[in-house]
Amino acid sequence: MSEAASTSGPGVSVEIDDIQSGALHARPSPYVGRFFLLRIDDRHAGRAMLGRMLPATEGGLPTVNPDQGAWVTVALTFQGLRALGVPQESLDSFPPEFQQGMAARAEHLGDTGESDPAQWEKPFGTPDVHMGIVALAPDAERLQKALEHERAALQETPGVEIIWQQEVHQLPGGRTSFGFRDGISHPGIEGVGSGTNPHEAPLKAGEFILGYPDETGNLPPMPQPEVLGRNGTYLAVRKLHTKVAAWRQYLRSNSSSPEEEGLLGAKMVGRWPSGAPLTLSPDHDDEALGADPHRNNAFGYKENDDRGLKCPAGAHIRRINPRDATIVGATRLHRIIRRGTSYGPPLPEGVLEDDGADRGLIGVFIGAHLDRQFEFIKSEWVEDGNFIGFSGEKDPVAGHHDGTGTMTVPAKPVRRRLQNLPSFVVTRGGEYCFLPSLSALRWLSELKG
Amino acid sequence: MTTEQGTTQSGQPKRPGLTKGVCSEFTILANIKPGQAEAMRAAIAAVSSEENEPASRAALQEIGTLHDARHVIFDSDTRYLFASVFDGSWDTYIDDFAKTAIGANLDRIFSNAEGFPGIKDPTVKDWVAAHQASALGFATSYPDLTVQQIWKDQRANQAFQEVLDTSEFRAALDNPANAALLATPAFQKLLDQAQG
Repeated sequence: MSEAASTSGPGVSVEIDDIQSGALHARPSPYVGRFFLLRIDDRHAGRAMLGRMLPATEGGLPTVNPDQGAWVTVALTFQGLRALGVPQESLDSFPPEFQQGMAARAEHLGDTGESDPAQWEKPFGTPDVHMGIVALAPDAERLQKALEHERAALQETPGVEIIWQQEVHQLPGGRTSFGFRDGISHPGIEGVGSGTNPHEAPLKAGEFILGYPDETGNLPPMPQPEVLGRNGTYLAVRKLHTKVAAWRQYLRSNSSSPEEEGLLGAKMVGRWPSGAPLTLSPDHDDEALGADPHRNNAFGYKENDDRGLKCPAGAHIRRINPRDATIVGATRLHRIIRRGTSYGPPLPEGVLEDDGADRGLIGVFIGAHLDRQFEFIKSEWVEDGNFIGFSGEKDPVAGHHDGTGTMTVPAKPVRRRLQNLPSFVVTRGGEYCFLPSLSALRWLSELKG
Repeated sequence: MTTEQGTTQSGQPKRPGLTKGVCSEFTILANIKPGQAEAMRAAIAAVSSEENEPASRAALQEIGTLHDARHVIFDSDTRYLFASVFDGSWDTYIDDFAKTAIGANLDRIFSNAEGFPGIKDPTVKDWVAAHQASALGFATSYPDLTVQQIWKDQRANQAFQEVLDTSEFRAALDNPANAALLATPAFQKLLDQAQG
């Protein structure tokens, strides 16, 4: 029984031990991990596989320190639920965007051009993707141990096949391929745990877990029967290739000194490479601030930076989490848990030419409402700018640009406007998955017929 | 620019309503609950009155995407029409909308319509979709401008006009030191607007 099981927010007690650890467990640092996609060729085999995975699938928040444990997460696509023989009326109770799958939502999500599902790495976006398994651990040894059970379960289960896998690992210095520290911001959740921003009140549990009231005061729409839906949530999983050479070239050709180059990158990201937020350190990087978990996410925008003179309203981290800034809409209805993990080799420092290597991140976005969380954030906050008063401008880092993108960087006396932004991120694939509770995994493994 | 059937912004079934550029039209037709026309009229009057104007403007500021809205009671107090134009797709922001002052106002008015479940009810999207009547035609003079841009343009023009009213600006135009700036095509465009 985890310590957190006894905690509860005002009026809500979260059944934390029934929730897969992968939903709420912060990423360790450092980390190694592996993503698998599986195809279920036989529903009986699929159910048996889930049954065999159950003992290795942890619930709750097993340790206070995320760097200690290793854990395995099991998720299913809509096609996967169908392949397991989930009754039709139950399938029909899932939200439409989940039923359609991420590839079908491409236009709405800005996955067009080189990010078009037609260009995706197979098997992403095909009906073959049924199950996703994620294993994350602080080191290779613990990862291998965590994966032993999965390996054994697979060997005992013909009829379920691994069709894709991807190794992920922390890059040197805990940075993304673009060179910025990530994994800093994590929302607080009532009844689960506190977040990394002390200025943000914890969100209602129903924003992240099915079966509890959400920020609208309602229960999130929940797939039926109750045992299947309750304590589950949704994942949007994306393989995002990063064009690191193009990023460096853009910074270089739009700056006249290394200092300017550093500031320009920070203005686009909203943080310095160390993780220090521009709002707290507007003019230079601050390694100590970036590394301090008590300070590096402890800020809002409204009081000292509503105009964005320090951190532009269009900067990546301010778009995807506007905090208390003045925007169109209500930020608390569009929060999400983000878990980015890097794949591929880093591009050596100073290199400006593309070496052809595939590198980037596997992004996992977790929430109980795919439509007003992941999809809203991607379409309204990343692919448009009307919510911050810059209609038509996109996220300078994560947005899908065609080489004509712009970004307004507020400054005195006159704002700077970045021109001719290309895409620095390409979607290589993605899937919407349902992350069932442990009870639901058992229910699925015991389906009859 | 062509007028298009509104594309859905969520996984929900396709919504009615016409879109032009960044704007969409949104028309609701509903039956008034028997005997509730007076209550509805009072709720509309309360938010539309002169005294309520400052609060109403503040509420619109809070929304930031609503171009206009009107309420009509017709057919001998039996039916109600709500017509508006706004940026984007209505269901994208409906949960956000429910948390605002305008959301609360509409809730009071719409509660007099048959079957309205309440603006914070999770089934409200279905009620709205069922009572939405798509326009046959929709025209707007500024299809590329969102409310946010119109406000920004208005602020920029007011500031520009104030600059034109200063004698210092006239003097700066006559100052040979500024000749290079004045000669740029971009500044010429500004001066073109300055002529009146």
